[in-house]
Amino acid sequence: MGHSEKKNHFNQSQPKKAQNDSAFNHRNSVSFGELRNSSVMASTAGGQQPRPTRPSSFSRASPSSSPSSPIPSAPPGVKLGVNGAAYISSGIPDLDRILGGGFLIGSIVMVMEDSDAPHHLLLLRNFMSQGIVHGQSLLFAGPTREPRAFLGTLPAVLSKDKNVLRKNDLDPQDKEGLRIAWQYKKYFGEQNSPDSINRDSKQDYSSNFDLRKSLERHLINSPNIECINTQDLYDLLQLENQCSSFLSKLSRKNLEDKSNLNAGRIAIQSLSAPQCGYFEKDWEILSFIKSLKANLRSSNSVALITFPNSILSNSISKRWQHLADTLLSVRAIPDEDKDLAKLLTGYQDMLGFLHVHKVAQFNTQVPVILDASTYSIKLEKRKSLILEKLNQAPIDGSSGASYATAGSCSSSKGSALDF
Amino acid sequence: MAKFIVKSLRDGCLEGDHAPSLAIIDSLHSPLGSHAFRYFLFSFVSLVQNESSQARGIVLVAFYRSPDYYIEGLRSIGFDASMLEKWVRILDCYSDPLGWKSKNSESEISKIITVLNNVKDVDGIFKSILDLTTGSGGDSKTRFAVAFDSVNNMLRHSSLRSVSSLLINLRSHERISCLFYLMHSDLHEPKFTASLEYISTMIATLENQNSDNNNILFMEQNYSKANFNARLKKRNGRVKLLCEEMCIEQNGVKFNPIITDINTVVTQTIIPKVQFNLQLSEKEKLDRANVVLPFEHQGKGENIQIYDGRKSLSDNQINVHNNNNKNTNNSEKGEIHYLRDSDDERPDSDEDPDDDLDI
Repeated sequence: MGHSEKKNHFNQSQPKKAQNDSAFNHRNSVSFGELRNSSVMASTAGGQQPRPTRPSSFSRASPSSSPSSPIPSAPPGVKLGVNGAAYISSGIPDLDRILGGGFLIGSIVMVMEDSDAPHHLLLLRNFMSQGIVHGQSLLFAGPTREPRAFLGTLPAVLSKDKNVLRKNDLDPQDKEGLRIAWQYKKYFGEQNSPDSINRDSKQDYSSNFDLRKSLERHLINSPNIECINTQDLYDLLQLENQCSSFLSKLSRKNLEDKSNLNAGRIAIQSLSAPQCGYFEKDWEILSFIKSLKANLRSSNSVALITFPNSILSNSISKRWQHLADTLLSVRAIPDEDKDLAKLLTGYQDMLGFLHVHKVAQFNTQVPVILDASTYSIKLEKRKSLILEKLNQAPIDGSSGASYATAGSCSSSKGSALDF
Repeated sequence: MAKFIVKSLRDGCLEGDHAPSLAIIDSLHSPLGSHAFRYFLFSFVSLVQNESSQARGIVLVAFYRSPDYYIEGLRSIGFDASMLEKWVRILDCYSDPLGWKSKNSESEISKIITVLNNVKDVDGIFKSILDLTTGSGGDSKTRFAVAFDSVNNMLRHSSLRSVSSLLINLRSHERISCLFYLMHSDLHEPKFTASLEYISTMIATLENQNSDNNNILFMEQNYSKANFNARLKKRNGRVKLLCEEMCIEQNGVKFNPIITDINTVVTQTIIPKVQFNLQLSEKEKLDRANVVLPFEHQGKGENIQIYDGRKSLSDNQINVHNNNNKNTNNSEKGEIHYLRDSDDERPDSDEDPDDDLDI
């Protein structure tokens, strides 16, 4: 008797307990997700039907979700990044990747020229072409009598061959190429490989340019391109005024006004060239740069300034370098240099070196630390510009054949002359 | 190698490009710049005479030496006055640069020499040079070479900016085939030499052979020999570096090749941070694809054979079977059948995780 009573009591209490538990668990599983799911199953094991497992409240972040930002949609050619930063493309996809997205809007990019080689013109041309292709306004100042003539040398966009993707693009997402030997693999179905990032949008942001073809006429003649001849300027007042009026049209203040969202680019070639009228006035040039920088901060533009570093005196040159937000320099390489050919792979194809001294960062205290700061400038298929990390040639000459095509790789410090 | 430079000057201005310009830069320690300049000048005139150069004539802007000096020099080589009249024009900025001599003084009018009175006006120099090129006959297609015997003297009278723009405008002018000029680097700030190097396409520096500048013993040597280092900027952005030894002799200048290693200097200036290449070549990728990994072939219906580092059991069984056949013949002899303890265990042992590696 007592036994059966106990049993009944037991039976009665259990469903109640189970009910309570499940109610409790039901409320909590909203916040605790997966952990509670298993306990829901355990507590209803006594008598009730198990509830269907709730899907966990953790979900894999889809790679295509865009970061939230106050601006609902970025204008074409502008990429939004962390810390409220926005980038525009430099025209060279490799350089965008190295700099962490592109040139920061509102920053000054300075390129120190090498008097022996015209590589800074490559950077300048790609920068300007990218702006024109995206329909951004452009202000160009050059030390020639006919600055418009320089626009005729701008490269056209490389016609995209969708089947041929550059091998470097695949590497970060190429998990399918990594074969893992796992003894339980046969018990699981094939996992879906992660979606490759939607390449189309990425290509639009930063295009490859074909240096052998020049940009279409109608693009060059568009009204939002201005040119200034700096050779005949005896002081920088005119340049300063023109830059200010250009930048005020692209002010960042009116964010709500959608029509005002387009970015602008200022490209100044060889600002300190010896033939320019204002050449002797070092301090005036510095104050021009300072005022340009101040105007840029409150506008949606990027300025790219190249200058021949060797012509300036040391102290003035240092001041220029400090004024830059992003500082790059180009260097020529000697021709038929056997030592350099032995040291680096792909020496024959290299045009020059690009050195990244400083990378701009806004709204953050964390600096950008690059794993390699010197890159070689090469032409891919003689058409478009690529930047590659420098690779040390193998010491043993016989195995040189397998390393014939140099690619980017992970870091390993090697001093050039130590073996 | 100096021949290389002369060849570039001879070829002159390529289509769609600016004229090549050679800067000869010397210093106090190896003051042989004027000899080098003379060499290039005279070589060029003989090229013009042979009509092998793009330029049909040469305009010499004489700042440092009197025009007669050059005419005498050319005569001593073998050019006579009539030939010179055809090809050479000299803009005399030496005799009366600031216009101090009165206008009444006699000046013989020479076809070759044109006196310039106002050297401070750089635009005037530019115009005079162009006038001389047009004046010597020839249509707008003929080109001339221009030589400045001293840029330093020009810089005395005008600013660096105006001299630079003069040189650049000459380079881009359609009637100019090539330029060459001499500069002493000690007489001005380094900025001036740097600007000149920036503008030029070929830079020839004369350096003394011994770097010990204060030693008197080497001074005499420095007046007769020097290292002629040339930096040629090529169109593809590479720089060609050449080095020769220049010796001053009785009748001119001789260039001898040097067998030294100038490249060590170059590589030391460029020390990039170099990494090792970890990418695979195509062949290596194929080989990698062909490797069969341990568990990959499971689930294909084959027997799972666990590799346990020893001879496989099936092999053992075959051997034992053979042995048994043999042994039946020797059944009268004693036998030892040894079974290892670990043979009893299943191959998937917990002790050694590699025991269940299936290759």
